[in-house]
Amino acid sequence: MSLRIEPGEAVGLVGPSGAGKTTLLRLLNGSQRVTSGRVWVNGSALDSLSRTELRRVRAGIGFIHQDLCLIPNIRVAQNVVAGQLGQMSLARSIREMVYPSRRLVERVYALLERVGIGEKIFERTDRLSGGQMQRVAVARALFQEPTALLADEPVSSVDPARARDTVDLLVRISREDRLTLCVSLHSLELARAYLPRLIGIRDGRVAFDRASSEIHDDEFAALYDLNSGTPDA
Amino acid sequence: MSAAVSVDELWRERPRSGFIRGSLIVFTALIFGCWFLVDVDWADLVSARRLSNLERFLLEIRPFPLHELPWSWSVAWQWAREFMGQRGLEAVLATLAISLVAIVLATLGGALGSLLAARTIAAAEPYLPESRAPSRTALWTARSLVASTRAALVGLRCVPEYVWAFLFVALVGPHAWAAILALGLHNAGILGRLGAETVENADPAPLRALRALGARRSQIAATGVLPLVLPRFLLYFSYRWETCVREATVLGMLGIASLGYWVEDARTRGHYDTLMLLVVLGALIVLAGDLLSTVLRRVIRRA
Amino acid sequence: MTLPVARRFPFRTPSLVTAGILAAALWGYVHLELRLGDLVPGSGGVTVAAEFFSRAVSPALVSEADFVPSGTPPLLLNAANAALLTVGFAAAAMGLAIPMGFVLGFFASTAWWEEDPAGARSRTLRTLRRMAGPVVFGSTRVLLAVLRSVHELLWAVLFLVALGLSNAAAVLAIALPFSGVLGKLFADLIDEAPRSGAHALRAAGATNSQVYLFGLLPLALPDIIAYMFYRFECALRSSAILGFFGYPTLGLYIRQSFSSTNYGEVWTYLYALVLLVAVFDVWSFGVRRRILA
Repeated sequence: MSLRIEPGEAVGLVGPSGAGKTTLLRLLNGSQRVTSGRVWVNGSALDSLSRTELRRVRAGIGFIHQDLCLIPNIRVAQNVVAGQLGQMSLARSIREMVYPSRRLVERVYALLERVGIGEKIFERTDRLSGGQMQRVAVARALFQEPTALLADEPVSSVDPARARDTVDLLVRISREDRLTLCVSLHSLELARAYLPRLIGIRDGRVAFDRASSEIHDDEFAALYDLNSGTPDA
Repeated sequence: MSAAVSVDELWRERPRSGFIRGSLIVFTALIFGCWFLVDVDWADLVSARRLSNLERFLLEIRPFPLHELPWSWSVAWQWAREFMGQRGLEAVLATLAISLVAIVLATLGGALGSLLAARTIAAAEPYLPESRAPSRTALWTARSLVASTRAALVGLRCVPEYVWAFLFVALVGPHAWAAILALGLHNAGILGRLGAETVENADPAPLRALRALGARRSQIAATGVLPLVLPRFLLYFSYRWETCVREATVLGMLGIASLGYWVEDARTRGHYDTLMLLVVLGALIVLAGDLLSTVLRRVIRRA
Repeated sequence: MTLPVARRFPFRTPSLVTAGILAAALWGYVHLELRLGDLVPGSGGVTVAAEFFSRAVSPALVSEADFVPSGTPPLLLNAANAALLTVGFAAAAMGLAIPMGFVLGFFASTAWWEEDPAGARSRTLRTLRRMAGPVVFGSTRVLLAVLRSVHELLWAVLFLVALGLSNAAAVLAIALPFSGVLGKLFADLIDEAPRSGAHALRAAGATNSQVYLFGLLPLALPDIIAYMFYRFECALRSSAILGFFGYPTLGLYIRQSFSSTNYGEVWTYLYALVLLVAVFDVWSFGVRRRILA
């Protein structure tokens, strides 16, 4: 597999479950090691980095996990601050997680306002609804002040209307902040509507990699191996 | 500017539990404040006098046959085996026997207590729909029964085993019964409380059905409640048996024939080598008890 | 008549386990050569027992001793003081046991050494790191087992013969086994906590210690706090018992008053102990119910 994502680009990953979308995203932020080949992020090959350097790379990439991976029994603000742990010393992180400074709280609040749940800032995270938690996860990734945003099936657990909102939010924010965006999506319809470039993945290979407007329906059908019927949306 | 104001407001209105906060503050205050209450002199613990005492102790925990001789595992092993043959094994068996009889009695007492302390089965009319209101006297009898059982259970568990044992040794003499009663009463208090919770949380639907069929209170308890709560009771049983074994080892220090008796015996005679061996033996019994009850729990959980 | 719960009854394993337990207890009964008749105290015992239990309703309010040395505080004040010291010893021991438990619990959990999937640059370093984890983990687990399997009273006896009577030794005697128990529990709770939050923090560039502190610890904390309160209650009982070895807690006065047959005083001290433990019992139960809800 060989592919290249330019800074500031918005890319969608599509393909059946088990095709390797999650693995690809994990390789991109060094959560998983390549067995062969190389991953270059911002000009450095990940497998040649020391732990500290690798952490620095990770700190610069926001990652939104499929099951959100929030800590349920702490406040929303703390979950968001946790996004910036990679840039803090241990002592400072203890201070900011236990009793966050005014400056940080205001930044968290501004960010939460931006994703639409500012009033929930001091709520316990597990008291929020599914859609709200998703926004917390987005806010945590953005709080890293990343150069790139990776999202692994961010909408797999919410209803279609909310899914649309979330993808819209991701695309809008990455455009405003000039972030590189790479989203894996199950829903073709959403992917085509919001992402200018789509990469189809099947059995760990790139099936196609083109502007989404140029991709034919039968290519999608082949990707999901559906000879009849519509691709699942 | 408006954002700052509303963050403050949100912070003031943040959800929080005053009770937990207060408890943690009191807890922390206790832990730091206690050093003013108790006169602890750490320096004294390593003073010359204490250290020479320690040195003597370390010399004397060498097995007796090896006194002032080079260390030899075979001699030490021989010595330990001899002791085990004479007293050690009997002490271990007595400790285990005491813990077993005690925990079974405690469970029986606890089961009885939990039935009397559960608001569901000890109600005036257990498992009846609200429509048929019981008489006022029946209501008050049931309520006072539950309340007094609960108070008795609190009393039982708040007196430590060792204190119970001390009192019983003084009353019935240094007999195994003293240890059994002590462990039994304390654990009956604990198991009764835990059991009452279990009984109250038992699924009421089958019990209501039994009641509707005309079963009496004792029949509901025996055929309905018991099978429902038995697995959980066994779990609690195994946890408490673990501590029973642990406590049974030391109750002997009051003169009852468990491991502790020989500990106290070795201490008064100044046989520190035997004392050390017994402490190791006690630790092994506790570990064996832990292991057995862990296995027991696994068996119960799998069922 | 078929009972609606009849099909639940077979419950084979619990019944078998129950039968096994009863058989074991029967063995114990026979082995100890117990007879119900031995439960009845001898004639002298009956008098003492009657005398002792009759005082349950009338605990002493002032000292019952024939000769009270001048300068001795009044009985109730003394009981309050002993209760306070009982709390003091327990709290001091918990103050040591909790931090020790946290440190030992950290090393006894698998969470801190489970390898960062994409870790160090060199293969040797990665192998070394992979080996160091299990070794430290295993030896800490052994240490915890040794600490908690020796009963606090045996620790107390050991300290007594090795160092002599010392408040510091009494505090240590409770603190050592308690840190063993707390450490094991902390480790188990941390390891049982879901790891997904931790993965997210690691993916955001957090260090291992940050992952542990903010990804795993918060999840285990409610249980840890509830358990700490329960252990405090246990420490209270242990601290009272240390009085029997000569430390100035409630146990000392229970023993003293009993041996000088001032049974009313014994009940005063017993009630002080029950009250003290009951307060903590209710408190820890309240914390547990609220925090785990």
